[in-house]
Amino acid sequence: MTAPNSTAGIFPLDKKGLLKAYRTMRTIREFEERLHADFAKGDIPGFVHLYAGEEAAGTGIMMHLEDKDRIASTHRGHGHCIAKGVDPNGMMAEIYGKVTGSCRGKGGSMHIADLSKGMMGANGILGAGAPLVCGAALAAKYRGDGAVAICFVGDGASNQGTFLESLNLAAVWNLPAIFVVENNGYAESTSRDYAVAVDSYVDRAAGFGLPGVTVDGLDFFAVYEAAGEIIKRAREGGGPALLECKMIRMYGHFEGDQQTYRAKGELEDIRANKDCIKMFSQRVTEAGVISRGELDAIDREVVAEIQQAVASAKAAPLPTAADLTTDVYVSY
Amino acid sequence: MLFMTTAIGIIANPVSARDIRRVIANATALQITDRANIVLRVLSCVKACGVGKVYMMPENGGIRHHVRRGIDRAENQGLKHFPVLEYLDYKISGTVEDTFRAARLMQEKGVSAIVVLGGDGTHRAVVTACGDVPIAGISTGTNNAFPEHREPTITGLAVGLAVTGKVPSAEAFLPNKKIVVRVNDQEEIALVDVAVVTERYIGARALWRTETFRELFVTFADPEVIGMSAIAGLLSPVTRLDPGGLHVRMAPEDEANIILDTPIAPGYMRGIGVRDYTAMKPNVKYRPSISDGSIALDGERELSFTRDDDVSIELIPDAFRTVNVSGCMQYASRHGLMRVNQKINA
Repeated sequence: MTAPNSTAGIFPLDKKGLLKAYRTMRTIREFEERLHADFAKGDIPGFVHLYAGEEAAGTGIMMHLEDKDRIASTHRGHGHCIAKGVDPNGMMAEIYGKVTGSCRGKGGSMHIADLSKGMMGANGILGAGAPLVCGAALAAKYRGDGAVAICFVGDGASNQGTFLESLNLAAVWNLPAIFVVENNGYAESTSRDYAVAVDSYVDRAAGFGLPGVTVDGLDFFAVYEAAGEIIKRAREGGGPALLECKMIRMYGHFEGDQQTYRAKGELEDIRANKDCIKMFSQRVTEAGVISRGELDAIDREVVAEIQQAVASAKAAPLPTAADLTTDVYVSY
Repeated sequence: MLFMTTAIGIIANPVSARDIRRVIANATALQITDRANIVLRVLSCVKACGVGKVYMMPENGGIRHHVRRGIDRAENQGLKHFPVLEYLDYKISGTVEDTFRAARLMQEKGVSAIVVLGGDGTHRAVVTACGDVPIAGISTGTNNAFPEHREPTITGLAVGLAVTGKVPSAEAFLPNKKIVVRVNDQEEIALVDVAVVTERYIGARALWRTETFRELFVTFADPEVIGMSAIAGLLSPVTRLDPGGLHVRMAPEDEANIILDTPIAPGYMRGIGVRDYTAMKPNVKYRPSISDGSIALDGERELSFTRDDDVSIELIPDAFRTVNVSGCMQYASRHGLMRVNQKINA
């Protein structure tokens, strides 16, 4: 049975929006779970850093964005790409290093970009996205098109000079720039307690004259509400802001990380009790606006899509030696 | 002879005043260093009154590092400004569980009072778990209807005077009401207000979508506070010491009998549709008027319910004690408690 369509006064999105959010989060999860399995088999070149467990944050923010809005991602960028609308087929091929990839197989996991979708790139250099976002936000302000630019950093990269200088620049120029700190508690394996002197990111933002908000990054609706208000504020000329999402990654810093810094049973507890997609599903089905059957149907479609993406990626050709010298410089 | 050092607890929440109201309502964001400075002020005041030991909630939000610096500096100078400070020993979760646990452990350690730094939510969490230990609130949150607004130095002094017996108990402490909300077997409390809204998710927790407001129950109604209880306060004030509370039924504006302009967050004036309001009787179970929705406790969405759930809302008088800061300071003045050395006849 299909549940009723009206969500007015019950959820901040209509049913179509809720289904889109679920599909995005499930696509990210399936994409990452598949990479986890295939990386272990040795199928994938280079490094991968998985976003599984953190889907609610990227999705809750990106649901408010259009193609004209720009984002700069991190080394853990697959989730941001998918949520921003980058084609998972191109992404998978990119990660496999194939010529059909988003960047023709030359970027790999940490450099997926698609400017047509406003995705300026994942970035292997920690904190490097922040100045890029200031530039994109300045361009948006200059054009006056109401676009915003959003920079994602982890709790580790939030200590980088680039990030701190960008907070200052964004405040000085009153840019429509938003800084999202995805705080999963560990900079690689270093706990935040050891590495961040100002323990509150809201305080850090205040130090540069920006408002800051902390939300439970596992709760899609908490992120969606807070990001919505911050993005609206920036579009209206209210200037930059910082959003801290407290979240948990389900896998290691990189694939192969043994996670010896975690307590015994911590990962099992995360899977069982702190899975943001399970929490979302429970909310919408209990409220009766979406049925379990509707979610199951999306699950099946997503699994098939990712299966197809992997098959296409494996079948696609590698770049040739002649491709080495293309895309190095912009053609004028 | 058994010599017991008077001990108190301090629970300072590093994550209060961090929510969405910084953006929608230009609310204050009290910095961690300011919170640590408040703790140091309280510590030196309770020490001056004779409190020898203080237990603190461990946290990794940064307060303890600044407090430690202040204490180390005093010790390096040979000063005895501060009582012995001990952090409770357990693994920090970074959630409200830390507050529950600290309050329980402080009660077990026999503290005479707990000083709370936070907003209404933090105070609610402490009262949930501290048993019969009196609390003294210091406002470091957003809406803060429950903790009274004053300089923490004075709160610290009053706590010190109360727990060392310099002010007699009858004057040192006040009774407070609470509201118990039960959803089936789950039981939660609110210190100030319980709001019933149509939303079915917790999300950013704060309440600001007025069209979803349906019902409000308050323990006291003060027109000088902001937040949900301000609605009741502007309709019909009820003091903290009155036996009952107030029950307000709300509605979308087109169905309302009164549109009440109310500061529901700092600087955030909104028209609230009110159907009617009546006294809330103590020890009577009320049922929400809608079958499906969420319940906000002290201004934050916490619980969701459906038509299948058994929900009740009940006001309990004389539920817990607070330090009567004003009463303690008035008593101290009347009885010359702070006159250490007097050479002339007053």
